[in-house]
Amino acid sequence: MPSRRTFLQLTGLSAASVALGISAPTAADATPARPIPDGAFALGVASGDPRTDGFVLWTRLAPTPLAVDGHGGMPAGEVPLQWEVAEDSRFRTVVRRGLAIASPDLAHAVHPEVRGLRPGREYFYRFRVGTQVSPVGRTKTLPAYGDQFTFATASCQAWYHGYFAAHRDIARRAPDAVFFLGDYVYEYGIVAGDNLWRAGVTVGPEHGVEIETLEQYRLRYSLFKTDPDLQAAHAVAPWFLVWDDHEVQNNYGAANSLYGVPPELFVHRRAVAYRAYYENAPLALGSLPQGPDGRIYRRYDIGSLARVHLLDTRQYRDPLPVDEADRVSEKRTIMGAEQETWLYGGLRSSRAPWNIVAGGVVLSAVTDDRTEQWDGYPANRRRVLEAMGGAGTSVMLTGDIHRHVASELKLDFADPASRTVGVELVCSSVGSNGDGTDTDMYAKDWLQHPYMKLYNARRGYVHSTMTRSELTTEFVNFPYIQADANAQPNVVARFRTPVADPRLEAL
Amino acid sequence: MRRPPAITGLRGAGGIRIVTLDWKPVSWATVVDHYAVYADGTLIGKTVYPHFVHRGLGFTGVTRSYSVVTVDAAGNRSAQSPATAVANLTSVTISGTPIATVGTFDGKGSELALSPKGYAQYPTRFPSDVDYTFGTSTPAADWSYLLPGPADKWAGTKNHRAAFRFDLPAVPEQDLDLALWLIDSHASLAASALLTINGAEAGRLTFANGATKGSTIADSTYPGSPLKPSYLELPLPKALFRPGQNTLELFKDQGSWIAYDALGVFARR
Repeated sequence: MPSRRTFLQLTGLSAASVALGISAPTAADATPARPIPDGAFALGVASGDPRTDGFVLWTRLAPTPLAVDGHGGMPAGEVPLQWEVAEDSRFRTVVRRGLAIASPDLAHAVHPEVRGLRPGREYFYRFRVGTQVSPVGRTKTLPAYGDQFTFATASCQAWYHGYFAAHRDIARRAPDAVFFLGDYVYEYGIVAGDNLWRAGVTVGPEHGVEIETLEQYRLRYSLFKTDPDLQAAHAVAPWFLVWDDHEVQNNYGAANSLYGVPPELFVHRRAVAYRAYYENAPLALGSLPQGPDGRIYRRYDIGSLARVHLLDTRQYRDPLPVDEADRVSEKRTIMGAEQETWLYGGLRSSRAPWNIVAGGVVLSAVTDDRTEQWDGYPANRRRVLEAMGGAGTSVMLTGDIHRHVASELKLDFADPASRTVGVELVCSSVGSNGDGTDTDMYAKDWLQHPYMKLYNARRGYVHSTMTRSELTTEFVNFPYIQADANAQPNVVARFRTPVADPRLEAL
Repeated sequence: MRRPPAITGLRGAGGIRIVTLDWKPVSWATVVDHYAVYADGTLIGKTVYPHFVHRGLGFTGVTRSYSVVTVDAAGNRSAQSPATAVANLTSVTISGTPIATVGTFDGKGSELALSPKGYAQYPTRFPSDVDYTFGTSTPAADWSYLLPGPADKWAGTKNHRAAFRFDLPAVPEQDLDLALWLIDSHASLAASALLTINGAEAGRLTFANGATKGSTIADSTYPGSPLKPSYLELPLPKALFRPGQNTLELFKDQGSWIAYDALGVFARR
């Protein structure tokens, strides 16, 4: 039998992509050296980062998902994993097959990158390890042209605050893509009688502490990902993911912790947090962290319909302002200089009628003391709005605040007469803050502005249909989430946004 | 299995009830899951940082042998790092003789005024801040459980002071020692206070950041208590003292509050 090195030479695969679970020589032996315990696919399957000719597939072998060492009950050692992509859900027409090596270095997660598919088409995929076959996932390639594109946006899934009715409904609607805008996990200790509001569940003491080590972050992803509705939403569409703060620690920015961990120490925490994020998301290899750094800002074209810009507004941000002069300083950035240049170039060079810009925190002006979001970085916001003003109509997608908010993006928020360059659709949380209420004490901060068209403080998600002429958006919420996952969806608001005259027209 | 490298440069420093360890982390080429920290061969904790504080030690110094194992992302374990011997310090509350104290050195602040969560009443109960005379004042009435700082809106966003008065029969023959124990402090703004003895500056006390829980919880000792106690002990030069009444004052002109366990002045044996 030829050595692995010979295989690599024959196939032209890089050793790195094999070791990282991207691809492996198909002639390699697909039989695990040791039997894998039953239930290896307990964390489900996913796809993401779609292109016109492919996407990233994801799974992570974890027969005992809540094993406290974060390795999901997998024996140490590498495991070959087969995958296949078909045009039909019964796999009669398999169009791609491959092998990936699940390694303990990545908690037995794999990220095969599938290429050579047809644009704008539905595909089905599944994995096989030994004799075990995964659930079937459905996904789609991006269209080459793009008459119509549907997408859901979601964020902030504090598993312990309630059930994921939002994900259940997203799975039912099977959009062309899902945007997840951060706070996929939370780092807090989960304690019964304190923050554990999801009815009928208990957690062991290993979940009761703030997470810090890689094994703890991995375990936290496992806990959240055991949710069947989250798995269903992953298995129904390709996801575009960006992170916000809780994937590392509440309100951190760059290497700065708000909880007194010095920067030279905090980077070590960021390194394991970014690592666990990559391991548990259907991300392309470009997002694999290197040490404490991970690049997740990236760009996709939905045919010639829209350009998608995914932002990282955590890793490169300036510290919270020390005073008002600092807050309004021209030099302040929430994106970092490199990402700013990248975004403005990407907006400028796109010929698409739409730009979808997805980030973790709210862009629109609310109050000057909301310095955690773009209100703390007004110069950067002005530069972004100017760049948006020189490009196709912008659709800003954000989350973070656990509220549904719809806003018209003004070229200058201080001047109500200034041009509207697009709209911002802020999705409420999937779980965070529990049941919620329609309105609350913060509503007036938002609704004081004429450009704000909606404020709702229940849990939910946003569903949009984009055509070449207009965007139709539904804000969906749920009457409750803490008792169970069975709440029925309620459309709290619908808006139409003409591409040629961007605004939020209530329907 | 590839063994990850062991850390190097392990060093430690003893404090009251704690030993602080630091080391040189392995390079980023190794994806670290965590560092496992051992004292006398027993696992005492895991951390992702090249830094660990061994807490909950006694008040009498004991020397322990510390070492660290690197655990990588695949679960592989390094060899034990070279060990280093470190002792925690013996507290002056053990080694010294109390001259004047307020509160009990027991990890709890419940015997103090406004404890456990009466901070909002501070401005009305202590409009001129705390002025406590040992022997006549009582902790439950006259010594606020929190010393607020200028960052605290509930205390008027201004500097605050706490005066502690006590008698000495004569100028002490040796330096005295101050023990200032906290059950907790603000998590990022514990900052510092100016210490004066009879009006003369005796140093700036820098407080360890806590958990921001001691404003509502008085007990740091029960299992799972979220509080982060800390201990400050330092010598007070004998030349600062005089016969008769002496005044020790804490002037909190930086940051947010600290929550007392107890404060005391001790003579050396």
